[in-house]
Amino acid sequence: MTTTQAPAPTRQRVDTGRRLTFVRALRGEWIKLATLRSTWWSIGIAAALTIGIAVLIAQAVDLPDFMPIQAVVMPIQFTMLLAGILGAISVTGEYSTGMIRSTLTANPVRGSVLAAKSTVLAVFMFVSSLVIFTVAAVAVSLIVAQRDQSIDWADPAASILPIVVASLAMAVFALIGVSFGFILRSGAGAIAATVGVLFVLPIVAGFFTFAGEAWAWLVDAANYLPVSAAQSAILPSEGAALDAPVAFLTLGCWVVGGALVAWGVLRTRDA
Amino acid sequence: MITAEGLTKRFGDKTAVDDVSFVVKPGSVTGFLGPNGAGKSTTMRMIVGLDRPTSGRAAVAGREYRKLRAPLTEVGVLLDAKAVHTGRTARNHLRAMAATHGIPASRVDEVIDLAGIGSVARKRAGKFSLGMGQRLGIASALLGDPHTLILDEPVNGLDPEGVRWVRQFVRHAASEGRTVLLSSHLMSEMAQTADHVIVMGRGRVLADAPLAELVRSWTRNTVRVRTPRPADLAAAVGGPDVEIVSSAPDVLDIVGLPASRIGDLAADRGIPLHELTPTTGSLEDAYLALTGDSVEYRTKEIS
Repeated sequence: MTTTQAPAPTRQRVDTGRRLTFVRALRGEWIKLATLRSTWWSIGIAAALTIGIAVLIAQAVDLPDFMPIQAVVMPIQFTMLLAGILGAISVTGEYSTGMIRSTLTANPVRGSVLAAKSTVLAVFMFVSSLVIFTVAAVAVSLIVAQRDQSIDWADPAASILPIVVASLAMAVFALIGVSFGFILRSGAGAIAATVGVLFVLPIVAGFFTFAGEAWAWLVDAANYLPVSAAQSAILPSEGAALDAPVAFLTLGCWVVGGALVAWGVLRTRDA
Repeated sequence: MITAEGLTKRFGDKTAVDDVSFVVKPGSVTGFLGPNGAGKSTTMRMIVGLDRPTSGRAAVAGREYRKLRAPLTEVGVLLDAKAVHTGRTARNHLRAMAATHGIPASRVDEVIDLAGIGSVARKRAGKFSLGMGQRLGIASALLGDPHTLILDEPVNGLDPEGVRWVRQFVRHAASEGRTVLLSSHLMSEMAQTADHVIVMGRGRVLADAPLAELVRSWTRNTVRVRTPRPADLAAAVGGPDVEIVSSAPDVLDIVGLPASRIGDLAADRGIPLHELTPTTGSLEDAYLALTGDSVEYRTKEIS
């Protein structure tokens, strides 16, 4: 009689339907974004700044060719930084705490992580900005009504379009932050780079407006910075630095370019 | 099943992992041992796709980790470094992880209970003690009810109850046919937990063997004898293959003879014995003998 060794136990593989999909990765990223206090602080401050500054401008500016909708979208000059920083820290917070290791073991496809995080940030920033700008528009309407002015809702170009485009611009700024987050990984570095591109470079370029013909190329180039392009896209006019289609294309290039560099870094570097 | 084939990782001109190959089989607990800096953690990180090997391949269930369709149900990972956002509550962390695989909230609550973190599940992870953080890490690893567990220092910071729980848990997991790869510096703990051991040193595999076999081949059996006539006994048992060390006036430690033979020899000559204790080598002895030359950060002997 021969004795046979007991076979090693093997586990049955039952398909439970539990597997990774992109939609589920989006859900995971959304839960991560929504369960951090910093997210809601950023949005709360953005709302307070937007509505507060819009109301101030509406009260202070009373010029013949002033469109009330300008007061609604002008605060983006300040809130753009909140969008960029929220995008940046949504990534760098993962690196500084080590969360990125959990993220990448749950979803080892790096491009999918980048796409999911970017999508969630962009949609969240777009929708919340839409709500904030709409509330600001209502507040501005109430104020300018005292001077018998109003936001002309029948004319999309003077009402709904600037609000939608400004919300899109906020999403773009958040995505620039996300890209810098993945590229630089450090919170301080990514925030500095984001603030630099959004806020500092336009100011630096502004100095060269007085520098004469030799520096005109630099002033022209500055029109393609994200914030300048956003201004040309939000309120297109004869005097805008860029034509509206060019402005949109420029914003698109910032998003795609940033994402490509971020992807290149994320997929090759160790986490 | 985990397979590593010629895994190599260089950081600059330092080679952290050097041509490492092994197979971790299902149905048993495989201990992963080695001094600090031996390359264990880097090897584990390469298995789960966090670090890209300079050369070689690692696969879980025959597939590269990055190609798994359901990584969390295939592999549960606990790495040595923290991997949780400090601003998020434990439960929300697990919810976010679970969502990526469509794992229901009921399973999140299940692993919270399993890991014993129910009382702190709604607290932010940044406020956790070392032990609680470790339990949260274990809860994350168990989320997908994975076929394979890769646990780097799971008992680090745990209380004795937690240490025992981890031991029983991984034993049970192996008995169900799961694959378990477990690293620890606690040799006594490892001796109770592992069936098979892989020892690394300076980036290489020094040994890959069943635990009992490893201990047998890297330790010697000693018999401790206490007698009022040590000189007579030493003369009686002495021989070419026998090594005798005296650690106290009436104590001899004898290597090379079984206890029964020593007892017989003493009886023949009428030498009284007050103690006759065979001691077998421990995993710790075997480990130290094996890694003696490959400890990177050696402590000074205390004289």
